[in-house]
Amino acid sequence: MSDIKIKSKNLNVYYGNKQALFDVNLDLNEKEVTALIGPSGCGKSTFIRCINRMNDVIDICKVTGNIEIDGIEINSKELDVVSLRERVGMVFQKPNPFPKSIYDNISYGPKIHGKGESKNELDEIVENSLRKAALWEEVKDRLNEPGTGLSGGQQQRLCIARAISVNPEVILMDEPCSALDPIATAKIEELIDELKKTYTIVIVTHSMAQAVRVSQKTGFFHLGKLIEVGKTEKIFKNPDNKMTQDYITGRFG
Amino acid sequence: MNNEHTVKSYEEELQHLTDSVIKMGSLTETQLVDSMDAIIKVDKDSIDKIIKSDEEINKFRSKIDTQIMTLLVKRAPMAIDLRETISSLKISQDLERIGDLSKSNAKKVKPLPLDLPDELLSNLKRLGDLVIKQLNDVIDSYVNKNFDKAKDVWEKDEQVDDLTYIAMESVIEFLSKDKKNLDFSTHLIFATKNLERAGDHITNIAESICYLIKGEYLKGNRPKGKVIQE
Repeated sequence: MSDIKIKSKNLNVYYGNKQALFDVNLDLNEKEVTALIGPSGCGKSTFIRCINRMNDVIDICKVTGNIEIDGIEINSKELDVVSLRERVGMVFQKPNPFPKSIYDNISYGPKIHGKGESKNELDEIVENSLRKAALWEEVKDRLNEPGTGLSGGQQQRLCIARAISVNPEVILMDEPCSALDPIATAKIEELIDELKKTYTIVIVTHSMAQAVRVSQKTGFFHLGKLIEVGKTEKIFKNPDNKMTQDYITGRFG
Repeated sequence: MNNEHTVKSYEEELQHLTDSVIKMGSLTETQLVDSMDAIIKVDKDSIDKIIKSDEEINKFRSKIDTQIMTLLVKRAPMAIDLRETISSLKISQDLERIGDLSKSNAKKVKPLPLDLPDELLSNLKRLGDLVIKQLNDVIDSYVNKNFDKAKDVWEKDEQVDDLTYIAMESVIEFLSKDKKNLDFSTHLIFATKNLERAGDHITNIAESICYLIKGEYLKGNRPKGKVIQE
C-alpha cells in the first residue's frame, strides 16, 4: 500500500454563488498516477486546481475544507503559495511554452526559485529536465530556438520539462494529450509511466482508455461530487456505482 | 441495464452478440437432445442430421468471434460491456465443445446393436437428461442474467459426476457378463465420458455468467462427485 501524498477532506469550492465541489474526500497516493474522469463541468479540473491553489487568482472563488500535502494543510493563509507551486507543478491542456528559447523555458523556473546559480548548474538542470521529459535528444542542438517552434507533442513535453525543472513532488496534468496526435500522446503516456517513479501525478482526462493505460487509481466526478474512487482496474472492469458504470460505458445522459 | 448507450448502434451490436450466443445455445441444446435420443433409441437414421447440425453451431462460433472482434475494435468496451463481450467469447467456445461432444456421441450410435437392454441404457439416459437440463438452465440464466440460477448449475455438476460414475458402472457390469459386448460397450463408456465432459463445459459457462453479472469469479472449488474424488 502506497503512502498518501495528498489528502482532501470535505473540500468545497464556490465560484460566487455557484458551488463547484461538494465535500470531496480523496486520497492520492505517493508516486502513483491518479486519473480523474467525468463529464465537462463535473469539477475534476477545479479539484486539481485546488492542489496548487490556482483558484487563488479567481476573486469570487471560495474554498472550504482541507487539502493536505504530506499532512500539512495548504489552504492556510501563512503558506507561501510560490513555494507550494514549486512543489506542485502543472501541465495544461494546450501546450503553453513561454515565447522564449527552449533553454529559457526550462531555466526560468529554477531561476525565480533561486536554483541553479551558475551557468553550469542551470545547464545541468536544463539537460536533466529535458532528458526526464524525453525531449533532450530531439532538441539538444537547438536549445536557443524558440519553444513555440516545436511540434505540439514536443511543446507539451517541453512544458513537462519546465514543470519538473524546479524538482516538484507532484505534477498536475489537465488533459495533457487532448491537443495531441496518437503518436505524441503515446510519448506523453510513456513519459508519465517513467515520471511516476519520482513524482505523484494527477491527470484529468476525457479519454477512458488513457485513464486505464496510465493510472493506478481513478476517481469519477459528477456535478461537483466525487461519486466513486478506486483502483483503476476495478473501476473499469466492475465499478460499484451505477453512475460510474453508465458514464464509462457511454450510457450517460 | 436500464440505461441504453448514447450510441444506438453500440447498443444494437451488443444485443446482436447476446442474440447470437442465445441462438447458438439453443442449437447446441437441440443437438444434445437429438444425440441422446439417437443413443437411447439406437436411431441410426438421425446420425447424419446431428453431424450436420454441428456445422451450423461452428458457423455461429465464427460469427460470434467476428462480432466480438468488431466490438473490441470499434467500441473498446468497459465494465459490464467488457464483461459481456469477454463472457460471450468464452461461452461460445464452451458451446462449440459441447456441440463436438454431441456429434461424437451421435457417431457412437452406429456400432450399437438394436436390441440393447433397457437397464443398460436407463442410467445413461438419467445422466443425459441431467446434462440437458443443466444446459437448458445455464442458457436460461444467461438470457435472464440470473446469478443464482447460474451458480445453482455450477453446484449441480456434482450430480453429473455421480451419475457418470453410476452409468459407467452399469456398462462395465454388462460388459463383464459377456466379452462379446466389448466393442459397443466401449463406445457407451466413451459416450458417458463425453456427457460428463459436456457437464464440465456447462459449469464453465455458469462461471462465465456469474463473472458477467457480478464481475467476480466464483470462489472456492466446485463441488466434485464421487467419480472425481475417487
